[in-house]
Amino acid sequence: MIEFRNVGKIYRSLLGTSVKAVEEFSLHVNEGEIFGIAGPNGAGKSTLIAMLLGYLRPTSGNVEIAGLGARAYVERHGIGYLSELIAINPKWRADRALVRFATLAGIPESQVASHVDKVITLLGLGEHREKKIKALSKGNLQRLGLAQALLREERILILDEPTHGLDPVWTQKFRDIVEGLRRPDRTIIIASHNLDELQRLADRVAIIDHGRLQRVVSTGFDNARESLTRFRIVIASGHESLDEVFPGAEPAGKGEYTVTVRSIRELNTALADLIARGALVSSVVPERSVLEQQFREAVGETK
Amino acid sequence: MSRGRLAKYSLWQFRDFVMEKGISIIIIGLLWGYLQLLPFRQSFSPEMTPDLITRLVTLLAGSLVSIAVLIALNGIISTDRKMGYYRFMFAKPVSPVRYYGQLFVVHLVGLLSGMVLLAGVFFFVAGRFNVWNLVLYTSLIYIALGGIGFFISAASKYDWVTLAAVWVGARILRSLYGNGDDWKSKAVELLPPVHKVDSVASSMIATGSAPAGDVVWLIGYGALFFVLGLMVLQRRSLAA
Repeated sequence: MIEFRNVGKIYRSLLGTSVKAVEEFSLHVNEGEIFGIAGPNGAGKSTLIAMLLGYLRPTSGNVEIAGLGARAYVERHGIGYLSELIAINPKWRADRALVRFATLAGIPESQVASHVDKVITLLGLGEHREKKIKALSKGNLQRLGLAQALLREERILILDEPTHGLDPVWTQKFRDIVEGLRRPDRTIIIASHNLDELQRLADRVAIIDHGRLQRVVSTGFDNARESLTRFRIVIASGHESLDEVFPGAEPAGKGEYTVTVRSIRELNTALADLIARGALVSSVVPERSVLEQQFREAVGETK
Repeated sequence: MSRGRLAKYSLWQFRDFVMEKGISIIIIGLLWGYLQLLPFRQSFSPEMTPDLITRLVTLLAGSLVSIAVLIALNGIISTDRKMGYYRFMFAKPVSPVRYYGQLFVVHLVGLLSGMVLLAGVFFFVAGRFNVWNLVLYTSLIYIALGGIGFFISAASKYDWVTLAAVWVGARILRSLYGNGDDWKSKAVELLPPVHKVDSVASSMIATGSAPAGDVVWLIGYGALFFVLGLMVLQRRSLAA
């Protein structure tokens, strides 16, 4: 569905200096996938998204969507896009801004009002609909940005830092909304610093650093993986047995310990042993998600 | 499909023009008229002949129309780029080339509406003159000056200042080197034809016509730069 082929982007200044923002970047994103893009600040995420929307031309290589050049695709079909920076004329009224975007999106005039009402309700903007953009809080502006991206049933959604500025309630609601948008013929791309969010939502995540693709990670837990992995275990009772079962367990307070195992099988064997000795285990979670672990490895911060 | 939705969006573009530029143009026009026309009217009131009124309007329009065009064209493309408004607009199935091409026409319609309104006020305050001639002159200057402004706005973030500098700079350079026979005088021929504006203004507002060569030169120059502006939009990255 989306193809980056050996894409490079160099920014050149008038003074002759140049910065390589993206280098030899190749990636294929499948139809129906929720795909994450993660990377530290300045890794090249925004440049990649700008090229995907045709707002920037690659210096080398090409970007294609459904067999068309990126800009050609956008001009023909449109993309649901939430940018990191929500830039809407501050003098416009929130609901009228949505009517404008709906008109540009090609929604028939007779259906514009119902589409606008639908996204206003979905994003909880009812009481703010008549406010001017400049009067909206950061969180409400973010929700308005998401609302305009969802006005039409687009086949491609690009969400850049989508939960930036949202409170915990709306962060959770956003995740539910994105899960509800999953469709076999829809591709969703989420660029985020929030690895936990990508771990929960995305099927795969591209980790980029210094403009290069470092690796693509599947977010499901790899049960067959054999490497040292740390888990957090909370024990309600039977603490005295822990050292024997998990030698080297590190106490973290309030009945919580950090243990290191080589595999899921080893973890389960040890837990069975611990329970057989009379301990009550109330929680077992990986210290870091698969994505977080891979991210640290990819950007050179392995512990 | 794209043209249909853009045609519907032209009403929003017109509304934006009225709110963000049209009102300013009307206020400046009224103040300009008040400061320039009324003293004349009071001095010459019994002898305000149609010829004198036309000359007054020519004098007024010569400056006012250029200022109004500068206001109308200010940031026509560059503001969306500078402020980042393009991000949501052009993620929709819309061509920037068509969008801004249409916006150029909408601004012309808005400017002409504003000038008709101002002309109506002057008509009642100062006396009879041919409003249609003023509309023709405004259209001509919009295409001549506006075409260059459109190109500069597509290519630069500092369009208003650049356009004013180009317009004034061309006048100065022509006055310095325009009458010679050397390479400098030939080079200034390539500059915007600002020297033709004054003669076209007096003739067009008075009679509704002007030397065909001057009109073609003004329109051709503006139209060429308008097309160049569209090409820049087609070629240049929106995010650059």
